[in-house]
Amino acid sequence: MHKFWAAVFGVIIVLCIALFVVAAFVPGWWLPKQVSTFGDAADRLFYMILWITTFFFVLTEALLVYNIWKFGDAKPGYKAPYVHGNHKLEVIWTIVPAGILVLISVLQIGTWEEIKYTKNFPRPDISVNQIVVVARQWEWRIRYPGPEEQKRWERDPKGPENWRKLAEFPFEDFGQYDDVHDVNAVHAWMMDERGAGRVLIHLKTRDVLHSFFLPHLRLKQDAVPGKVIPVWFAVNDWNTAYDEKSKTWVDGFNHNTGQFGDRNFIWDLACAEFCGSRHSMMKGRLYIHKDRADFNKWLDFQQKAQNARMPAAAE
Amino acid sequence: MSDSISHGAEAHAHHPELGFMRKYVFSEDHKMIGIQFLFSGIIFLFVGGLLAWLVRLQLGWPHAEVPILGKWLWSGSAGNRMPPDFYNMAFTMHASVMIFLVIIPLLTGAFGNFTIPLMIGAGDMAFPKLNMMSYWFMWPAFVVFLLSFVVSPGGAAASGWTSYPTIASVTMPAGQGFESPAQAASGIGQIMWLVGLIFVGVSSMMGSVNYITTIINMRAPGMTLFRMPMTIWAMFITAILQAFALPVLTVALFLQLLDKTINTSFFLPPGTLNFGNWTAGPGGGQPLLWQHLFWFYSHPAVYIMILPAMGMVSDIISTFSRKALFGYKPMVFAIAGIAGLGFIVWGHHMFQSGMDPRLGTGFMIATILIALPSAVKTFNWLGTTYQGNLQLTTAMLNALAFVSMFVIGGLSGIFMAATTVDVYIHDTYYIVGHIHYVLFMSSVFGIFAGVYYWFPKMFGRLMNEKWGKIHFFITFVSANLTFYPMHILGTGGHMRRIADPLQYEFLRPLQPMNQLISISAFVLGFAQFIFVANFLYSLFKGPKAGRNPWNSNTLEWTCPSPPPHGNFDIAPVVYRGPYEYGAPDREDDFWPQTLPPGVAKVPAEEAPHTAEQPKVEKEHG
Repeated sequence: MHKFWAAVFGVIIVLCIALFVVAAFVPGWWLPKQVSTFGDAADRLFYMILWITTFFFVLTEALLVYNIWKFGDAKPGYKAPYVHGNHKLEVIWTIVPAGILVLISVLQIGTWEEIKYTKNFPRPDISVNQIVVVARQWEWRIRYPGPEEQKRWERDPKGPENWRKLAEFPFEDFGQYDDVHDVNAVHAWMMDERGAGRVLIHLKTRDVLHSFFLPHLRLKQDAVPGKVIPVWFAVNDWNTAYDEKSKTWVDGFNHNTGQFGDRNFIWDLACAEFCGSRHSMMKGRLYIHKDRADFNKWLDFQQKAQNARMPAAAE
Repeated sequence: MSDSISHGAEAHAHHPELGFMRKYVFSEDHKMIGIQFLFSGIIFLFVGGLLAWLVRLQLGWPHAEVPILGKWLWSGSAGNRMPPDFYNMAFTMHASVMIFLVIIPLLTGAFGNFTIPLMIGAGDMAFPKLNMMSYWFMWPAFVVFLLSFVVSPGGAAASGWTSYPTIASVTMPAGQGFESPAQAASGIGQIMWLVGLIFVGVSSMMGSVNYITTIINMRAPGMTLFRMPMTIWAMFITAILQAFALPVLTVALFLQLLDKTINTSFFLPPGTLNFGNWTAGPGGGQPLLWQHLFWFYSHPAVYIMILPAMGMVSDIISTFSRKALFGYKPMVFAIAGIAGLGFIVWGHHMFQSGMDPRLGTGFMIATILIALPSAVKTFNWLGTTYQGNLQLTTAMLNALAFVSMFVIGGLSGIFMAATTVDVYIHDTYYIVGHIHYVLFMSSVFGIFAGVYYWFPKMFGRLMNEKWGKIHFFITFVSANLTFYPMHILGTGGHMRRIADPLQYEFLRPLQPMNQLISISAFVLGFAQFIFVANFLYSLFKGPKAGRNPWNSNTLEWTCPSPPPHGNFDIAPVVYRGPYEYGAPDREDDFWPQTLPPGVAKVPAEEAPHTAEQPKVEKEHG
């Protein structure tokens, strides 16, 4: 009977590992496509921990199954060795895991700093795409500086300096008459070789906690009532193009095949912090344009559409 | 010390028989209080399980029309489909019931109460009346939790068991009712949730003071600290955790209760918040304050929910391996290490919360280091079974399942402790999988192990081994099928607490996995009826157990089964540690802590069971 139980434990463990192996090869069962600049490093850290933990998982479970298999039939009259411990073993299995664990945590720090520390955020200048995201139940309200405003900044000889001031008196607090608004759609463009196109988001919420989650970017940040939390990212790929049929910009565009509707090129924006009745419906999409020119075309288009709806705002 | 104990034993021996109320209801006897905690815990295990089924029903088949049940619960506008508010209530109350009314009361209330005096050789707890009150303070919580399901408007709390402001705390101005402007389904239910939790907290508080005092003051002669069984060490350190962490939660609960009822603003930020056409604030507080206070308790609470199980499992594994616990002192230090570090890691719940990320780095290092004492414990359990003479009783199988599953829960924790990796898997099903590997696969298997192990001492009868093993087999397999695939969901990015994963393009391929989990969860729930049937049948019809059916060393096995009021008919004196199994030059393979030196064999009256229990012997023969 003891061999049966050893087998039960063993089979469960083998199935656990098998599920991870299978999942890695089934489309949609594993980490989604990764498109941000820091996502590769984050994924590498994930795999590093996965390999280390898998090793210790197999080691400990194999020992357990072996012990049940080998010593599981209690023999009457047999006495187990009279052993109370082993100092040397204790030292080894304290020091070795301690070293590995410290190593794991130290290796996290660099990428964590890159993603979250404000000192590593893009300095707000004209190359940076600043966006205000206001979460509310249950949608993402998004505001871009209008095209004219951006041109003014560009023309201004003291542009970058003004930008810095704008960061101090951030435009997230003072909406401009020509700001472009959108809901549940974050637009940006693929970062170019010179690093233009990094996105700086001023994240706010007007009611409860929400969490700005872009799974394809390996990025997540809670929005907290009363706080403006900066979030940054830059994307290495693009998924949005003008669709002649629908006369607008559409995501899901695979630039390799030239086809729309590719699942790997639909990048969801989700709310990851519980926010009430329709929490699961608080979703948006991330639209990454090929370059800044295409983004600006969209911005113009969006502003015209907005002015057509509200003519007074254009004055 | 010895005087008071023998005194107690004598005094109680001549006690007149207590009436029904004093004996079974308002009992001051630690054993009866433990059994009361056990019964209410098992009852609420089914309440929590039912709520889990409802959660899984929705996640497996989001917003599907539900036959019969749907007509009964959600007829009308929802069209026999589960509304998202009901789903939110179900997952909130599932977690709240399981954590506060099942796992903590079972581990510390049931097993803590039952084992502490018996295993240290005391006649009862230090403060029997306080002990009685600690159980009866659970009852207001039982009542308000259950009543909250039927209050109108809204029903039970639906803001998650973490009850984060502002969604949980915001309320209408005085005179306009208690319905939450943030959430239609969270008004009076949320207030009842807060009140219930305050009672649970006070109950645990009274328990912990009692445990600490009893363990420090009332040990039998010879029972030095380092002769205490691991169960007692674990209960002791757990009680210290409770005593230090609970006041913080209690304060936080009171603050939120004030926010919720009389419109204070401890957790409302200094700005206005807009809910539809209703504006709240400005307040003078911070939503993040709650998270700090809450997790300052609730992270140690995670250890409150696992350390006692670790202690119990250590004793059970050593007993049924017929071999000394490997590395007793390192095991004690590991528990102390987990508890000590447990106080400085709460920030890892807040890596993505908007807390300064530099704090996150510090919390990460402390958190990852907790894996170290956990690893030491695992290696020592493996060392104990290595070359042992393993008796695979049901209790032992459950204890081994604890070890096996705790490894998964511990290792998956490293992913979330690592800040960078956590950015992605935070608030996904990865954490749901992890918490269930720790709280279900570890704590609940530890509880099952404890029930099968101490049942003969509690009720004087043995549980049925065959049905116990069938129960174990189905539970072990179906629980793994339920909780393991959650790691895959999390790796795929599946957010927790969403009512409808099909909303998202990237989650649709994972739906078959969600259905597998749901079906396994239904099987897992049904399997628990086997346990209850076995429990109830054995209570009345199980074979009679002697004093020491498992040939164990610790003190409780020298009492009659069940022990009388006052516990010990012979005042115990302790001569050695609890794990002297397989000592050479002795006839028996065990060496009870109370057996005087020089006595070669355990006297028959202390082990009269072996003849009566051929079944147990056969099972592992």
